[in-house]
Amino acid sequence: MNAESAVSANVVETGKAKSTRSETAVNALIRETGGWVASQLEACTRCGLCADGCHYYQATGEPSYSPVWKIEILRRAYEQRFTLGGRLRLAVGLEKPITDEDLEHWSKIVFEACTVCNKCSLVCPMGIDLGPIIHRVRGALTAAGVTPKDLHDAVQKQIEIGSPLGLTLDRYQERLEWITDEWEVDIPMNKKGADTLVAFTSIEMMKFPSTIAAIATILNKAGENWTISTKGREMVNFGFFEGSDEHTRLFLSRLFDAAKELGVKRIMVSECGHAYDALRWTAANLVQVPKGLTVTHIIAVMTDYIRSGRIKLKKGAYDNGTITFHDACKIQRRGSHIKEPREILKMLAPNSFKELTPNREQSICCGGGGGVISIKEADPLRFAAFGLKMDQMNKIGAKTVCMVCSNCLLQFNDGLDYYKSDIKARSLSDLVSKAME
Amino acid sequence: MAWDELLRFLRGPMFYAALVFFLFGMFFRLFRVVLLGWQRDRVPSKGSKIGGVVITYLKSILILPFIPWVKLTFNKNALTYVAGGVFHLSLFGIIFFGAPHMLVWKSILGFGWPTLPAPYVDWLAAIGIISLVALLINRLVHPVLKKITRTADWFNWTIVFLPFITGYVMSRHLWFEYQAAFSLHMIAVDLLLIWIPLSRISHFMLYFFSRTIHGAQFGKRAVTP
Repeated sequence: MNAESAVSANVVETGKAKSTRSETAVNALIRETGGWVASQLEACTRCGLCADGCHYYQATGEPSYSPVWKIEILRRAYEQRFTLGGRLRLAVGLEKPITDEDLEHWSKIVFEACTVCNKCSLVCPMGIDLGPIIHRVRGALTAAGVTPKDLHDAVQKQIEIGSPLGLTLDRYQERLEWITDEWEVDIPMNKKGADTLVAFTSIEMMKFPSTIAAIATILNKAGENWTISTKGREMVNFGFFEGSDEHTRLFLSRLFDAAKELGVKRIMVSECGHAYDALRWTAANLVQVPKGLTVTHIIAVMTDYIRSGRIKLKKGAYDNGTITFHDACKIQRRGSHIKEPREILKMLAPNSFKELTPNREQSICCGGGGGVISIKEADPLRFAAFGLKMDQMNKIGAKTVCMVCSNCLLQFNDGLDYYKSDIKARSLSDLVSKAME
Repeated sequence: MAWDELLRFLRGPMFYAALVFFLFGMFFRLFRVVLLGWQRDRVPSKGSKIGGVVITYLKSILILPFIPWVKLTFNKNALTYVAGGVFHLSLFGIIFFGAPHMLVWKSILGFGWPTLPAPYVDWLAAIGIISLVALLINRLVHPVLKKITRTADWFNWTIVFLPFITGYVMSRHLWFEYQAAFSLHMIAVDLLLIWIPLSRISHFMLYFFSRTIHGAQFGKRAVTP
């Protein structure tokens, strides 16, 4: 008896050892499948139209980049566990159980060929909210430990050092000092009783210090009572990129703790998209947001200043050569700040502002968001997708393109370089700060 | 004689059995997704969730299936949009405004409504059949559809196609004697009723979930859905 049970225990164990990863993934996928996801999975008619919304599919024609295929693993997990048909198909071998190879495949397509920009949900005739569902697939793959290495490393750096780019507190302070000197701008730090807590992203700290200086200049000019915090210094949330609720919570709470400590009324997100999605549209479902604390974005704040006359802009300051605006997926399509940048650009460049097509909430993603830009292996793909953006800009003869997302800006800089274009990519805050009277 | 009896069975007990199976099946599907649990959305809204839902229904039902170029994805897959849209128009036109179908509704609901003249319904059916064939060919050749299509999808197509073709054959008095064609049509319809809850043809119900979620999520963010 004993020997027998020992043998069977062994078998179970070896069986488990073989498939631990896929089991973890399936369990995580199942955990994610509440009615919210299940009803949408079941609504899918498999018409394939979502593919035409995806910039990666459009750029490459690769069918596995179609959004419906990206959530196929979740559908399989859900049906094989919950539905009669799914179990039956699994039993008779019409469908295969999810294997480790499957995890690798889906890890590649949901992390490297998806920016969670959610354009596909606008294309879907059933209106399935594909972006957030893909976000959940990412989470399950992360739980199973199949996140792309570069992304995983960045998350670890953010956990341990406090910045996905490995910017230590000392380097952060040095860099801020340098920005303060170079641009002659005041950046208040750890100021108790400030109204607004501002945090910047590591991308801005390392690659776009001028954006930081611009934002500081605008806030100071408007007389804003603001501060940055050494405790909550990183705006970006790499946990949100990997879809891990645990890490998302950790990085969110660093900011919320800083906000509580300093007693601010609001957090203002710098030119960052994913962080805005995490803080404004996700945080309340994951952590306890301090009472009375609101979250806003620099584009909303800037526009308020202009509307209320706290800052004044030189009319037509950029009326030399066609200028256009790139709508970021997280700030415009998923953040609704669509009118504000246009209001500003119609002041700055009343005669030379032209729209890209498609634009506003229908805009096509830059191709570098959602953590894709941090994954080296995804480079060819993100440049291919950027080709769509190039075509749109060339069509209107753009000389300058501006945006309110630093992640997009980095992608534009890389992409314009890659396509050897003369078009200049600019941060809108930067444009505004230089056009203030 | 034999056709008569078979037809009586298919139109009578078999039809009602299929209808009951359909209703129970759909209730089962409904309760399953409802009972899976729904997390409350604690995120403060910027716009109106209800407003978003209203707009998304208006757009998706009245406008977008027919003028999808506002999304600039129309040219890339025009066939799916046109054939898909036309097929649904044809389907609803026939099952609600074909005189024999209205009489079935009347026998169940107790009231009727004006219907389309028979030749118009035949035209609608012909258009429906053509669009279904176009969609089938598209499914065979389109790279994305080739990748995602499974056995069940071929079943879905066949089981939707059969009532169309048998109904058309019967209405136009082609090839078969009337009773035989009618029996074949009823077999196809009974089969369809049974198959709907077991398949993705049930999207006509789950559509209201995904569309409502879509509208509410966009409305919450104050973005046009």
